[in-house]
Amino acid sequence: MSFYNTDGIFNPAYHDSETLEIHRSTSRRSHHYNPYDMDQEPWQRGVFHDALPSYNEQSRAPWDSRQGSWRTADSMAMGLIPTQQGSLRWEHNRTNGGYQTSSAVDYSTAHQEQSPGTPPIDRSMRQRGTRKMSLFPGGGVALGKLGMTEEDIREEIENEEQDLVKELAAMSSRDQIRAIRELPMSIEDKKHIRSQVLACKSSKRGLHLTCCTDCSEQVSLSFRRCGTTMVSAKQAMELWQGTMKEIGGKFGTGVLSYFLFLKWLLMFNIFSFLVNFGFITVPQLVQPPNKTANVGFRGLELLTGAGYFNETVMYYGGYSDGIIGTQPEYDMQLAYFFTIAAYLVLCGASLIYSMARSFQRNFVLSYPASGSAWRLLCSWDFKVTNDKAIRQRKNNLRIQLKESLSEKLQGIHMTTSEKLKQFGIHLGTWLISTGLAAGSCAAIYFLYQSNLEVVKDPQAPTSLLYEASTLLLPFVVSLFNLVIPLLYSLLNKAERYSNPRMQIYVIVLRNVLLKMSILGILCYYWMHDVASNISCWESFVGQDLYRLVIMDFFFIMFGSFFGEFLRNVIGTKCLPSLGVPEFDVARNVLDLIYAQTLAWIGIYFSPLLPVIQLIKLFITFYLKKVSLIQNCQPPRRSGRAAQMQTIFIALLFFPSFVGSLSMVAYTVWSLKPSDSCGPFQGLNTTFEAVALWMDREENIPGSMWAVWIYENVIKSELFFFLLTLIFLVLIYFFWQITQGRKLLIVLLREQIINEGKDKAFLLMKLQNLQKAKKTTASLQPTNAQQPKRFDVRQHIEPDYDQEFEGLPRPEEDIGPSVPSALIQAMLARRMAEEEEEDRY
Amino acid sequence: MGTTASQLPKDLLSEYQELTFLTKQEILLAHKRFTELLAKEDRSSTSQRVPMEKVLTMPELKSNPFRKRICHVFSTSEAKDGSLTFEDFLDLLSAFSDSATLEIKSHYAFRIFDFDDDGTLDCGDLEKLVNCLTGETDDTRLTPEEMRQLISNILEESDIDKDGTVNLSEFQHVISRSPDFVSSFKIVL
Repeated sequence: MSFYNTDGIFNPAYHDSETLEIHRSTSRRSHHYNPYDMDQEPWQRGVFHDALPSYNEQSRAPWDSRQGSWRTADSMAMGLIPTQQGSLRWEHNRTNGGYQTSSAVDYSTAHQEQSPGTPPIDRSMRQRGTRKMSLFPGGGVALGKLGMTEEDIREEIENEEQDLVKELAAMSSRDQIRAIRELPMSIEDKKHIRSQVLACKSSKRGLHLTCCTDCSEQVSLSFRRCGTTMVSAKQAMELWQGTMKEIGGKFGTGVLSYFLFLKWLLMFNIFSFLVNFGFITVPQLVQPPNKTANVGFRGLELLTGAGYFNETVMYYGGYSDGIIGTQPEYDMQLAYFFTIAAYLVLCGASLIYSMARSFQRNFVLSYPASGSAWRLLCSWDFKVTNDKAIRQRKNNLRIQLKESLSEKLQGIHMTTSEKLKQFGIHLGTWLISTGLAAGSCAAIYFLYQSNLEVVKDPQAPTSLLYEASTLLLPFVVSLFNLVIPLLYSLLNKAERYSNPRMQIYVIVLRNVLLKMSILGILCYYWMHDVASNISCWESFVGQDLYRLVIMDFFFIMFGSFFGEFLRNVIGTKCLPSLGVPEFDVARNVLDLIYAQTLAWIGIYFSPLLPVIQLIKLFITFYLKKVSLIQNCQPPRRSGRAAQMQTIFIALLFFPSFVGSLSMVAYTVWSLKPSDSCGPFQGLNTTFEAVALWMDREENIPGSMWAVWIYENVIKSELFFFLLTLIFLVLIYFFWQITQGRKLLIVLLREQIINEGKDKAFLLMKLQNLQKAKKTTASLQPTNAQQPKRFDVRQHIEPDYDQEFEGLPRPEEDIGPSVPSALIQAMLARRMAEEEEEDRY
Repeated sequence: MGTTASQLPKDLLSEYQELTFLTKQEILLAHKRFTELLAKEDRSSTSQRVPMEKVLTMPELKSNPFRKRICHVFSTSEAKDGSLTFEDFLDLLSAFSDSATLEIKSHYAFRIFDFDDDGTLDCGDLEKLVNCLTGETDDTRLTPEEMRQLISNILEESDIDKDGTVNLSEFQHVISRSPDFVSSFKIVL
């Protein structure tokens, strides 16, 4: 017990701290160690074991001769001291008797060897941890039943731990920290493991001496520190953290996803604002053109975006053409073109990236069929803290469970007439909804036709009345966008879908169709009619978009007021049967997507439109938050928020971003820029600016490569043809790979089922043996609890060996793929062996 | 924050940062919240235990149907009374934090749902789980017939090796196919 005194000197808190890592590395400045020399070559491992006899002895020593092994430990190198300390803790635990009960499960994380070449180390480690869980359930209580003695278990656990420590010590320090962090243990146990790993490492380092690795260690340590600081800083700067927590606490993940989406869009707009402002607006503001504004500020501009704003940098028309500035020359045409192109490309890339990730996480892995298992096992939202919300959630869950049960019991029996009726209803609702969308498109078409007549009138543009009348078109568009979705949700109530998810998808699809057809008809109007009839048409389109964005904002406010506030008042005061409204995540997200589409289309015509969008999103966030908390109740059906989010990102990409991209691309490549204003005046198409630039470059020596790329890559069809071909081939390959994986999954599933059967069979055998043992034990009460070694191997039942022939013995490698059934089998075998001995 | 920072030594703080998924701010906040639970005279020592009843008064845990299980799983107390030290508390927050991996989360979720601590989710565990989720009172509970049906449904879906219980790997399999789990298995201070 005198060892406890040394424990005081080596204060674990000091020893395990990160600062100590520096002390150690500086004190052994010339040590060398190679983190990978252990997990590759088996012979090297042998070297390691030979070089550290004392270490091995310690780890292999039986528990009871622990005291003896301290002698050798005393003569060990400095670096091994934490190991002793760890062992002391073990000793301590043993004397307390608390070890066995409290942490056996945790220590069981370790497992036998890892076969070389298995992909990520920590992954397999975790898997083995899970395997052990089933071996030592309940802290060894069950093992007692299986006849393993306490000593055996302890020895086993200790071996496991040593293996884990060795494995960890073989990793690079970065991986090691991550792996230790990911062990499912308490902090105390992690500390213990870590101190052992560090000891193991430093003792190993004592063998190879270089300075270089120490330096790299230092560098990686400082990088790590830097990384953690960055993460903390990022977290400190996180926007709306408290609000998000409040919303999540009251309404759960589904509603929270709307606000996260909004925040994500806000980031997009901040980025686009910075890019546009920095590369287009600032140079323009530095060199103002010699134009004087002939219209004063009247106030109505804030709504219409016309008048005073028309001459400012808000719109395309406010930018001058050619080269501005004398000393550092700044080519406005190229800046305008490349800024917008770069922004759109970056947007597209980040959208594709987040969409692909989201798909991978939420669709590829998720169940095709919905079941009750996930609802019970993984649907509980631990974030929800509000008492009332939790009660409501429980109620909803109960109702859903009952519904699904009764549905399952009844089955779906539908007669032909019922099916026909159902089909008729679906057909009818689809006809009505497409009819509504087509009708609103036609109305917008006629409205802008008459609008165009007014615009062409030469004296009109200055009058206030004219300016106000321009608000009519955006008003009507926003009105359609508000009212028709409400009609759609009424229609949706009339039809009955068996699957609630189907219902949501249908309503989302209809809304997207409506919004995109309205935007499509507007784009046609701008490209076809406006571009050929109006002198500075880009600015005109910019103004139209500005008005649409502003109007949409007002209608979002209206929507919150009428849709949520009034509905709440009606629901609570007048018609209690209606109840408090729910927050419709799908409709609100679609509104956001629509607004973002407007902002993307407008990026070419009005480079500062992202500012308006920014302000709008910012206010919308608070508005929606207040409206949500005051008026709404949590949604009744909680389901699959992550999948909905994926769909929303996909929608943002496909019709929204791709649509606006093609609109801008069409403008740039095919339409003639206006002659009287803007950076591209006098050119046939916007893209001609690049062609002209290349012509100029041709005369400058040293820039031939740029011209070559332009001629042979950008302008050549062959290049794009080849690119497409390569992509098609790649897609085909990946498709084939996924097919192969699917087959593999089926096979693995079958294997699991077979192994389950094996397990059941073996357990049955085990039970039979146990019964038999009880009877014999009653006959021979002595000799029953003697622990036996594994290496006494006897053939009791030939079919056992038949079944597990070729599988490794317990002392040999048990790779991560060996199932727990095998372990059960080992236990069964051992039982049988004991049985055998008892008998003879 | 200044006062709390001085209470937690710098090397201990960086150690916690290394061993858990929490950032510095989160650890400091956790420390602040934890010391609020302690009585005044106990605040100086770091290994002080807070009894489970005290921990469950925190608004983040107060209404959670699994609050007692959470405390029991993360407690290292030898008396098995669910009391937490500060390190246990950090463990809890780390498992429920944003950056914890799916494996860690599912491991602890499994242990929380494993009411009798025997390493598998058997019928008894599942029944308790359903009762926790739907409410414990008599009028909210499912009828025995419904319960039987429901449990057999769950086992049919998730018990791949057909041994009548859901073990950890089967549980993780279900969870890995339910992308909402990571975002909903979260407790933020």
